[in-house]
Amino acid sequence: MNINKSNPLLLHPLNKWMKKKKWSWFPHQIETFHYVRTGSDVVVFAPTGAGKTLTGFINPIDDLIKLKKFKGLHTLYISPLKSLANDIVRNLEKPINELDLNISFQVRTGDTTPYKKQKQKQKPPNILITTPESLALLNSYENAKEFFHNLKYIIIDEIHTFLDNKRADLLSLNIERIQTFSPNLQRIGLSATLKNKQDAKKWLCRKKPKIVSYENSVLPKIKILESKERIPWSGHMATYSINEIYKEIMKSKLTIIFVNTRAQAEYMFKNLWLINKKKLKIAVHHGSLEKNLRLKVENNLSKGLVDCVVATSSLELGLDYGDVEKIIQVGAPKGINRLLQRVGRSNHNLNTPSKAILVPTNRFEFIEAKAAIEEIKKNNLDKIVLKEGSFDVVAQHIFATACAGQFNIHDLYKEIIKAYPYKKLKLNDFKQLINLIQDGGYVLKNYDQFKRIFQLRENKNIYKLVNRRETRKYRMNVGTIIENPMLKIKLGTKTLGNIEEVFIQNLSQGDSFIFAGQVLEFQSMKNNLVQVKRSKSLISKIPSYSGGRMPLSTNLANSVRALLAKSNMWDSYPEQITEWLKRQKNISKIPKKNEYLVEQFPRKKNFYTVIYTFAGWHANQTLGFLLLRGFKEFNCKPLGFVANDYAIVLWSLKEVKEIKTILNLGLLDKHLDNYLEETSIVKRLFRDNAIISCLIERRLPGMEKTGKQVLFSSDLIYTVLKKNEPDHILLQSSYEDAKKNMIDYDRLREILKKIDKKIILKKLTSISPLAVPIILEINKENLSKKETDEYILEDLENEILKEANVLSIN
Amino acid sequence: MYYQLINFGNEEFYAYPNKSLYWKRLKTLIVADLHLGKSISYAKNKQFLPPYDTKEILNELFISLDKIKPSNLIIVGDLLHDVFSTLSLKDQDHKNLSQYMDNTDFIWIKGNHDKNIQIEGFKYCTNYKIDKFLFTHMPIKTSSFQICGHYHPKVKISHRGKTIFKTSFVHNEKIFILPSFGILTGGLDIHSKQISDVLGNNNLSIYPVGQDKVYKL
Repeated sequence: MNINKSNPLLLHPLNKWMKKKKWSWFPHQIETFHYVRTGSDVVVFAPTGAGKTLTGFINPIDDLIKLKKFKGLHTLYISPLKSLANDIVRNLEKPINELDLNISFQVRTGDTTPYKKQKQKQKPPNILITTPESLALLNSYENAKEFFHNLKYIIIDEIHTFLDNKRADLLSLNIERIQTFSPNLQRIGLSATLKNKQDAKKWLCRKKPKIVSYENSVLPKIKILESKERIPWSGHMATYSINEIYKEIMKSKLTIIFVNTRAQAEYMFKNLWLINKKKLKIAVHHGSLEKNLRLKVENNLSKGLVDCVVATSSLELGLDYGDVEKIIQVGAPKGINRLLQRVGRSNHNLNTPSKAILVPTNRFEFIEAKAAIEEIKKNNLDKIVLKEGSFDVVAQHIFATACAGQFNIHDLYKEIIKAYPYKKLKLNDFKQLINLIQDGGYVLKNYDQFKRIFQLRENKNIYKLVNRRETRKYRMNVGTIIENPMLKIKLGTKTLGNIEEVFIQNLSQGDSFIFAGQVLEFQSMKNNLVQVKRSKSLISKIPSYSGGRMPLSTNLANSVRALLAKSNMWDSYPEQITEWLKRQKNISKIPKKNEYLVEQFPRKKNFYTVIYTFAGWHANQTLGFLLLRGFKEFNCKPLGFVANDYAIVLWSLKEVKEIKTILNLGLLDKHLDNYLEETSIVKRLFRDNAIISCLIERRLPGMEKTGKQVLFSSDLIYTVLKKNEPDHILLQSSYEDAKKNMIDYDRLREILKKIDKKIILKKLTSISPLAVPIILEINKENLSKKETDEYILEDLENEILKEANVLSIN
Repeated sequence: MYYQLINFGNEEFYAYPNKSLYWKRLKTLIVADLHLGKSISYAKNKQFLPPYDTKEILNELFISLDKIKPSNLIIVGDLLHDVFSTLSLKDQDHKNLSQYMDNTDFIWIKGNHDKNIQIEGFKYCTNYKIDKFLFTHMPIKTSSFQICGHYHPKVKISHRGKTIFKTSFVHNEKIFILPSFGILTGGLDIHSKQISDVLGNNNLSIYPVGQDKVYKL
């Protein structure tokens, strides 16, 4: 359409306000307005700073003004974060109040008081801003239909953050539910720029689907930190460059340093503090810190009261911090989209480029950083892989449906398969999930008299909740985000945040550790509270957080491979990197883009095999385990392996001559089940599945059970179930989760399918330069939990026996 | 079956990795806290655990009885989880149990969980004395050596930077506490207040249960 001829937005109620602000409408706003007005569901792709939020509200506000004094809920706005929801309210109230428009709007999240929630149910506002979890809760109330039956629009903000996880499943099911309540509902999605826009459209849109896209022509300015120091072979802490990072902070008014894990954040903060001679105001921000501490940092950031914040992905989304001048990314970017999101946090002005500096913490990361910069120049984004819907989320949804009132299973099934992630859900699986909610769904029918939902005698298709009390249990368990068992940290009476229980268990009284930027001494643990005091100790541990690993995107991995092979580029790299690559070329080989280099060499008394897959940690870890088994079959006596994002190294007592025979697709089919079994991956995921599907209850603050006990009993359930009913729907579901999330099954399969023709085998007399980084990582024990336990017990017993012998001799 | 030799009250006991204890001299097998039917009693609160616990626990018990062929079996309390638990005992289970009773004397000491429950054909008592040994669910004030259950002892082991929890046999000079023979039963740290009130914190002999072996610390 020709947007220049006539701009219908000039007649929009907000036009006056726009004029006053001397702002003009963006083309994508005009386009969206047109499509939505003519009945389309739309996904809008635009960068930050391009009025995305406003874009979503253009049609709802226009409609509300035309309808005059509309009573009840008109528009629902879904935000991925509670804090973002509050921010939206602040942005919305400016034009609405200034223009004195007769439109009511409110926020509803987990932080909203019960009193306010009750009032909202009785007298809903025109616009409600909420989260996917709060939406699910609203749908579980008996009056959900009346609440939503007049709804005209649903807006999904930051839709790209929802597409590839279980929250997406939950949201998709609840959108279909309100669409059933209000068939004329229109859907508007707001997204950052994506590679596969069509997928986002398929996920969200039903009516005359349309994509609206606005690309920013101003590219960000990203460079790699030019360091005079030596870039280390391996490691992730960037200690080498701390002084240069400090200098960069001094140069800018306000800097955000992004790191990849919470442990790195604490470490970086501590190191900066040690050299902070100019007394710069530096703060730390990550997801485990107490909410109030985080809010304080965010506040100081938006008011420009700090010089620098060290942050994890916790600051990726959220408020606009207009004054941030520079982003420093420490560590591997891991993905193009992630890096762009982070870089975009500086300079929220469309016409000036964002500025960022990348600090690689080791040599491979240098190549990765370089590759990421190249891809951003080419605007080659990562694809977001839509996930197929998980079973456990359906189970939770069935429970929610039962809480809202009796339901017909066939109507529910038809509604669920309208949701994009569940298009392929089989009726039979769905029925098993009904049984799961009913009584656990076991083959052995032991619980007939204790059912949670039951079939009506007069109509077997209709199910009903046995007891209204159960609704409370659903509401305590809603949501798909399962955290590891955490304990609160108390300094005096002040809560500093949450720390993983596993970390605390490894501490003894008097040990010190770093948290919230302070050195703390562990005093005691009582009633799930960890009491600490300040410490002056110089030796302190850094808490590790499991699940902190971000996957290297396939897109970026391919780009790293391509860049590595471009030897004409090498001279532009720092000398140490150039030297490293040149020596590799002379001694061994630099693999071409489509080749898989395998190096074998003797070292000390063992025989080493290094495979450069560039497949990401998850896939490499899996492959390592599979190869261990493959080596065993060929009697090579393997001893162990280590994997990182780029490569795997295995060491064995005997030379592995059959590597080309071992390394193929058969490996995956033959040993995968065994692998999942041995490494307790499925067991861990089973816990999440059992909680999400409401089979066991979620731990909530104030409950007497500690996280360890919940984990413990879900382990027991898993073991009993696995032995007696290996086909149970929740075991299937956990297994699928493992394949999708933990082991990167599809990626590995894709690589192994074609690998045999692409292997370049190099037999060397000693270690190659490219292999040094991964060889340095050999220090972890890759033992399964079961083996580790036995090992610890045996070792301890032996030590005690030795001690006993010595005593008796003396 | 591997066992760990434990000296308690000048007698030799064998601790098995399946959490049973055998007093060889008197051909007496001892188990504690089976909590049969725990799953079914959870089900009444709509917490649907896999309903296979009773079957598995009894199987394990029958394996022991077949191998050891003891003259006596002493259950030191909490054979059943609660009054609903009898629902999980099928006809076949009753039949099997009474068959074993032909060769082995079953002595069911009542625990806090099963004090008001009866099973047909099962004799029961509140405690049982052989020589200087008193078998009881929870320790009482006495000069005898006591062998009991109730606490489901577990030990926290921190070694080389790692921490694990293990079900454990534990005793001091006078009191011996067995681990739970059940499978959906949790555990209690031997240094928790409840257990240290009974055993104290010093001079404990601790025997963590591993995969196929009972260790000695």
